[in-house]
Order: sequence, then C-alpha cells, then structure tokens
Amino acid sequence: MKDNVAVVVRSIEKGSPIVVEGEYMFDACEDIPRGHKVALLALSRGEKIFRYGEPIVETTQDIEPGGWVHVHNTRPISGGT
Amino acid sequence: MELMGYRRKDGRVGIRNHVLVISSVSCANGVVEAIGRSLPDVVAVVHAYGCGYGSTEDVLKSSRVLTRLADNPNVGAALFIGLGCEVLGAENLSREVNNKPVEILVVQKDGGSSVTTARGIEIASRFLTELSGLERTPAPVSDLIVGLECGGSDTFSGITANPAVGITANRLVTEGATVILSETTEMIGAAHILKHRGATPELGEQVERLINNQEKKVREELGELAGMVIAPGNIEGGLSSITEKSLGCITKAGNSPINEVLDYAHRPTQKGLVIMDTPGYDIDSMAGMVAGGAQIIIFTTGMGSVAGFPAVPVIKVASNTEMFRKMPGDMDINAGTIADGKCSLEDMGQEIFNLVLSVTNGQRTCAEVNRSQPFNYLKQGPTF
Repeated sequence: MKDNVAVVVRSIEKGSPIVVEGEYMFDACEDIPRGHKVALLALSRGEKIFRYGEPIVETTQDIEPGGWVHVHNTRPISGGT
Repeated sequence: MELMGYRRKDGRVGIRNHVLVISSVSCANGVVEAIGRSLPDVVAVVHAYGCGYGSTEDVLKSSRVLTRLADNPNVGAALFIGLGCEVLGAENLSREVNNKPVEILVVQKDGGSSVTTARGIEIASRFLTELSGLERTPAPVSDLIVGLECGGSDTFSGITANPAVGITANRLVTEGATVILSETTEMIGAAHILKHRGATPELGEQVERLINNQEKKVREELGELAGMVIAPGNIEGGLSSITEKSLGCITKAGNSPINEVLDYAHRPTQKGLVIMDTPGYDIDSMAGMVAGGAQIIIFTTGMGSVAGFPAVPVIKVASNTEMFRKMPGDMDINAGTIADGKCSLEDMGQEIFNLVLSVTNGQRTCAEVNRSQPFNYLKQGPTF
C-alpha cells in the first residue's frame, strides 16, 4: 500500500505549507514536531496508517489532511502488535 | 561486477589480509596485548571468557565465535594464545581453522608470560612477512558477505540512513552477494510483516517464530523493563508503535526475499538476503556476523556509534548532518543530506554501494583508521 503519511524533517507550525518531494500539498492544520508524521489525505476513524508500505497503526478518530498523526489519535492494529 | 581480494585455500575471498593474535581465555590476555603493543600491525584480540561456563551451549557458542573469527577470510594467518588449564584451550580452537596458517602458544607450557610473548612476537612477525607477499586478485562481488547493523539510532535513522542502505542492500543482492540482516530484538513488532518476505512459506514461519520467541524472552527476562529494550525513547521522537520502529530498522535490508534464517555465528549457505539471530547489542551482533563469514559491515547510526570490529572494515553511515559534523573522522558517509534535501535516497544508496566497493578494494574506513575494534560476543548462561 502507498504511504498515507509523511515524516516532517523539521518542526512545522500550524498554517505553514507541507511540501512532499518538492510539491506543495496543503497547509499543516496543527503544529507538528520534527520527526513526527503528517496525514497526506483525509483519514477516517479505524483506517490503517501505512509507512514503508506497511500498516503501522490504525486511527482512533478522523484526521484531516495536514493533521498530526501520533499516539493521541492512533492505536496499535488489533491482531498485529 | 568485480572486486580485488585475497583468495583463501577454502575458496572464500578476504578483503583484508590481517594477522590475528587471539587469546583462548581471558587469563592469557596480557600476552596477547603485549604482542599487540610490539607489533601494531597485527590485530590483537582479547575477550572476557574462555572458562567457567555454566552450559555446554555457551562452551560451543564461544568456541564457534573464536574459531570462526580466525577462520574469517579477512584473516590471513592466526596465532592462538592459551593459558593451559582453561576449558576452551588454544589447541582445540586452532584445530577448527583449516584455511590458513595457524599456530598456538600456551603460557603454562611455553615458558611463562615473557618467553611466550617473545615467541609470539617471532611467530606473528613471520606471519606479517609471509602475508605481505600476497597479491589481491579479481573476484566477483557475489563472493561478498555483507553484514548490516544499526546502533544509536535516532528519529532520522528510519528516514535517511536505513532506507538508503536498503537500496544498497538491494543492489548487492542483485550482484549476487549475501546480505545479513541481524538484531532479532530490533525486529520485534514486525514479525507479521517479515513473515511475508520469506522466500518460501516455511522460511516465513521460521522468521515469525524467531521474532516471537525473542519477544517472549525479552518480556520474561525484563518484565516491566521490556519496553526499554523494545522501543527505547521512541514515542517522543515521533514513532507511534513498535511496528513502526522495527520497520525503520529492517528497511536497511531492502525488500529482497529472505532466503535463510541462521543461528548466531553460523555461516550462510544461501546467497541474497538472510537473517541471523543476534542480539541488539552491536558488538555481540557484529561478532555473530563476522564469525558467519561477513567480510564487511555497513553500520547506520544517528547518535554516533564509533565502534568498528577486529579484522573487518565497518562503514559508518550517519543519519543526520548535525552528528556527522559533530564527530569528524568517525563517520564514513552522511545520509543526513537526504533530510537536508540535497541528495535523493536512490543516489545515496548508490553512493554507499560505491563506498562498499572502494572499502572492499582497500580504502580504509574511519573505524580502521581509528583502530576502533571492540570485541565481545553473545554468552547466555551464568558463569561459575
């Protein structure tokens, strides 16, 4: 599966542009710390998050594009570890 | 594709031509160190065990690691120094090494420390002279066994250094080389994913079993502290699950099928990507791979590990520019340029591949220049 999140290489402030591989995507809808993940598309509750093409967690709430994705709005995938 | 190496009697190829002087038990370390001080060109290796073992398994494991370090194709000749009354014994160890000149000295039989040291210097000097006459000859890259290691990882390891090395690993596999993914502890949480990368369903199950057993062992031994080993300080750095952390580690192996699952310090029988069961402790893990015949190691680091290994070049790949600059002379290549937007993952993977070839052909790594060659190996049972 294609990754639906990206990792920010420096801290991003709310409202600043998210650029992936040279292409403007949208503005960050909240602060995102360096090394953390940003949603690349609208994610609905229970959706799996893919990184390295593999499922790493699932969301516990809807997340907007440009939203911060971490332990506060995801959980380990049930059945996996 | 070819490299220039030293063809050994058993057909394997070394990319270095070292004289190894090694103790069979820690009680003989003083003599080994004295020989090393007199002859800085030998690789003098001391260790903490060789006697007092609490299990047959540990005796066999120790003996396997010490003999196979001497048997590694990067070693052109070996001298074992024993004490005499120990469990492992220099003579027993030397009998297992058949692909090069090997000699032994035993302190209790050969005249005590100072005489044994003088005789050791004589033997090692002769080895150095003999080996200096050997020429490198062309050999295919498929003769390489490349070990992968990561240590002192940071948030950037899984974004820059590891995926770049993954590209290098894919390229090495395409060239027919063997690539060892190690550190079972660092695979915890990714068993269900790695299972699908087995070349056969049986191999997939073997991989899954290996990782699940390791997780069980860590949890049993460490109880509440298990989390410290499985996912140290990662949530703050942005990692949301153990699976995400482990995927960041294993991405350095690329995406080739897994052709074999090896016990600690065993030699691969397959080409391509293989897994070796080693601990997350870098030195013990490298010892397993070198004993398994790895002639070179690619080591990614975020915090800045400076550890090399005896007789084997270790290439240090920095995950971030800040650390690369902060530790001049310790890092061989800076994959932090990927996060800086100055280099693509693909290009960095290719650069690391080219560096592997240069080092293979004789270019010295930072750890070799610094003579950073810590040695230790996995021991499981108690000492008596």
